[in-house]
Amino acid sequence: MSADDLFGLASAAVLPGWLILILAPRGHWVWLDRIPALIIPFGLSALYTGLILAHFARAEGGGFGSIAQVRALFASDYGLLAGWVHYLAFDLMIGAVMAGQMDKMGLSRLSQAPLLALIFLFGPLGAFLIWAAQGSLRLLGKGGAA
Amino acid sequence: MTYSARQLWLLTALSTAMMAVGLIWAMFETRQFQETLVWVKPFKFALSLAVFFATLALAFDRLSDGEQGKTKWPIVIAVMASAFWLEMLYISAQAAQGTASHFAVDTPFHSVMYSLMGLGAVCLVLGAGLIGWAMLRDSAAKLHEDLRLGIGVGFILSTVLTLITAFTLGGNGGHFVGTPPVGAAVIPFFGWSGSVGDLRPSHFFALHAMQAVPLLAWMVQGRASARAWIIGGSLGYTALTLALFAQALMGLPLMRL
Repeated sequence: MSADDLFGLASAAVLPGWLILILAPRGHWVWLDRIPALIIPFGLSALYTGLILAHFARAEGGGFGSIAQVRALFASDYGLLAGWVHYLAFDLMIGAVMAGQMDKMGLSRLSQAPLLALIFLFGPLGAFLIWAAQGSLRLLGKGGAA
Repeated sequence: MTYSARQLWLLTALSTAMMAVGLIWAMFETRQFQETLVWVKPFKFALSLAVFFATLALAFDRLSDGEQGKTKWPIVIAVMASAFWLEMLYISAQAAQGTASHFAVDTPFHSVMYSLMGLGAVCLVLGAGLIGWAMLRDSAAKLHEDLRLGIGVGFILSTVLTLITAFTLGGNGGHFVGTPPVGAAVIPFFGWSGSVGDLRPSHFFALHAMQAVPLLAWMVQGRASARAWIIGGSLGYTALTLALFAQALMGLPLMRL
């Protein structure tokens, strides 16, 4: 498969996971909860594993030590694809973890939806908001589980 | 804690989290819109909403359990939460693009969003009014009778005055009555004009009736003259807000700088 085909496949694969996290009932069916928490991230992690092993060492001047080295890792389409799949897999997995935390906070599903969408689009920004909200809830003395 | 009380505290916490986002944004932002760094507006709205929801949550906590458990509250608070997200996300997204959120009508999308923000703001202040109304009617509320009166009157007064000032502000096409010279002095932190009429001070005072009147009631509660203080204070506060409103409409700044 070409890098473009795999890109389309991986991007399409996360959508059902995000739809389940945002819209589906939670905590009723274990298999449904596991689609975003485990099954899709597991599949994407497998794809990443193959891509990174086959392409990491091919990048001329690639490494983790400087912006120039990291840019070199992403210079080829397959290297860039591996990085993208990394985002997709980990953002979805973190989305599932944060959904569980927001349930513990007692946050309505209505307010969970935009926060999950923010994790989908800008991963750490959404996670930061949820953690900051947890922290301020604790400072307000309302931090206990709902 | 009831479900509805918890949602109000969570909205307070989310507003505070949005303030934290604004402060971190400030460390990296260099772009300005209308002579102000673009992170400032989302930060000010987050601060305002944090104070707003904290005030509502504090009051709601004191309603009787029977009142708090009524089925209308989860619906009212869901509408307010939707409005909160609409306002915060749109204001932040527009600021991140270095452009206007309020008064932006250059494309059909911006125009619709501006109208929706107006609707959202109306929902927020009407929610405060409903909690104020419930407070006035809830004789089993867990607070002093005088404070109950102050919260009820303050919230309803805030709703009415805010609707008047904010609708005028919205219909004005901008904050100003008159055109401030480029680089003209503004009142620190608030950013209100020091040279021409600015409708934001009266909007600010209108909104904060919901803290001012309950605070007065809290200070005088238990005195024989408490009710007179609360009613008199509310009338005085209304007069002050309307005077600032008239001042702005006449094109005069709050203070000439």
